[in-house]
Amino acid sequence: MTAIANPIGHPARVMADATVATAPLLEGRNLRKTYRLGRRNTVEALRGVDVRIEPGEVVAIMGPSGSGKSTLMHILGLLHAPDRADGAAGGSDGLRPELSFGGRDVVALSDGERTKIRAREMGFVFQDFNLVPTLTALENVLLACDYADRGGRAARSAALEALEMVGLSERAGHRPAELSGGEQQRVAIARALVNRPALVLADEPTGNLDSARTGEVLGLLQRLNREHGQTFVLVTHDQEVGEACDRVIRMRDGLVRDEER
Amino acid sequence: MRMLRNLSRRRLRTALTILGITIGIWALVVFGSMANRINDMVGKGSVYFQSGAISVWGGGGDTPKMNPLDLALEDRIKAIPDVDVVVPGVSMYLSDDNASMSMGLPPMITAQPAGLTTGRDTLILRAAAGRLLAASDEGSNVVVLGCDLARQYSKQVGDTITLRGEEFTVVGVLAQTQTQPDNSAMIPFAAGQRLYLTTLPSLVKANLTASNVVTGFQVYPKPGTSPDTITAQIKALSPELGTMTGADFDKLAGSYAAMLNSVLVGIGLISLAVGGLSVVNTMAMSIAERTREIGIKRAIGAGRIRIVREIVAESALIGCIGGTIGLALGALLVTLANEAGRSSGTILFELTAGTAISSVIFSTVLGAIAGFVPALHAARLDPVAALRHE
Repeated sequence: MTAIANPIGHPARVMADATVATAPLLEGRNLRKTYRLGRRNTVEALRGVDVRIEPGEVVAIMGPSGSGKSTLMHILGLLHAPDRADGAAGGSDGLRPELSFGGRDVVALSDGERTKIRAREMGFVFQDFNLVPTLTALENVLLACDYADRGGRAARSAALEALEMVGLSERAGHRPAELSGGEQQRVAIARALVNRPALVLADEPTGNLDSARTGEVLGLLQRLNREHGQTFVLVTHDQEVGEACDRVIRMRDGLVRDEER
Repeated sequence: MRMLRNLSRRRLRTALTILGITIGIWALVVFGSMANRINDMVGKGSVYFQSGAISVWGGGGDTPKMNPLDLALEDRIKAIPDVDVVVPGVSMYLSDDNASMSMGLPPMITAQPAGLTTGRDTLILRAAAGRLLAASDEGSNVVVLGCDLARQYSKQVGDTITLRGEEFTVVGVLAQTQTQPDNSAMIPFAAGQRLYLTTLPSLVKANLTASNVVTGFQVYPKPGTSPDTITAQIKALSPELGTMTGADFDKLAGSYAAMLNSVLVGIGLISLAVGGLSVVNTMAMSIAERTREIGIKRAIGAGRIRIVREIVAESALIGCIGGTIGLALGALLVTLANEAGRSSGTILFELTAGTAISSVIFSTVLGAIAGFVPALHAARLDPVAALRHE
């Protein structure tokens, strides 16, 4: 496990002081998720996963299709809740799932509470960029401010700053259709970063980019990690992306197979 | 602005949906204005026709007729206890062409002795130009025109007009009353009797003399007495006589008006319901197309209420735009139709501020309600599933 010393500019709400620097940002135990596809057809996507993410880490979750890596990311990103231990959904060994984020227990939060944490303390980057097509680059970034209840001039300057961080301040007024794939992904990264979240989760962030753009985006993530101590969790197929990370969690059949540095 | 951009993503579809609302509100505005006008005529007519008096005519039935009556009846009616004043009168259509049914009130020639009802009228007639008739006008061919008639024939005070073959000098034009007097020509009593006789078939005419003929009486009861007992006694004089009190008029006109109103407003509401359904359809389709986008928004932290609010606001905007255009087109049609009708004396519409404002508010609310169900559906989407949606 890696524990990077308190980085500059890291969100104060997680890094309260230097003495808790070894406390994990995100910790999950006994995480299970079973999807019910039909009456008798259930898929055990996660079969009891323990995971620990330290502040300032860049972690890749890798594995073949169907290994449960996306499901794990959805649970870590509070998009889905893990199954309860008493769930009749099969395979339960009676162990209670645990999930804490920034020291808070987040297993049993309501949809509204999880939404609030996603808006304020997490950032998301998706494979196909997922920008809102009718909004300009700046407005897409501002959307994240808006959902985190930040508005007015402060939000605007934060959004412009985030675009500058990803090198796109010149293109703030362009719509997604007027931007290249690499540029769109950089806008998405700016949107994920604008609220200075404790954690950025990225699902195949380079999956739709050629190798030159992949290098560009990876370089950007590494620089943001280095300069701002930003914690990243990336789900990826790409060995090159895995190699650029501090740590790789390899998954297979809904379980963590191994971890490597 | 963002909402407008969202709406402009599918321009044709948005335009068609707005058109649906537009037509609905247009219909509501036009038919609502027509209903306003009818209500107004009935309301003011109720005041005009029945100044607390009982109308008496020949030929029986429930609605006034213009059959000839003997002026001698006046004294027999006066003899009934509690009768205060009896005013004989003559009414006829302005010309025989007008005898057929028309929308609105038919142009009429009316005549009664001047001054008898002074102080008893509840609808006070005023001259916009010139003067009203006086007792001293008896024997001369003068006329006071209602405002619509004056406009229709382009007559001013001092001009002459031919009524049933005789020339009359216009001495006054009435201020607008919104009801029958607007479409009436008032002439001295004797002149009225003379003209009326010319409207009758020659066989009937042969037995009558102009100075003894009337078409009806206005009977004013003494203050504080009930018209109903008098009505019964008038009918007892001759089975030929028909009577109508203010209450009778209101009942008759009110039931016609209520029926017309419900038909008119019903047509408007049906078109709106269709328009509203098209908003539901549009929003449902638009949300299905934007499933992925809703997934992104939910993932990066938009709450459910937030999603509902965005969609409801968007569909309310569709309703509001459609309503405003519908109101504008409706107002245009109403104004043009009234302008065109003014020359022929048929004012069919009355667009009130209340109708205008409520139609836009109504369409906006309708849009919001129509957007609500698709919005709830969108807010319940699982963000992960929505993100995977193609």
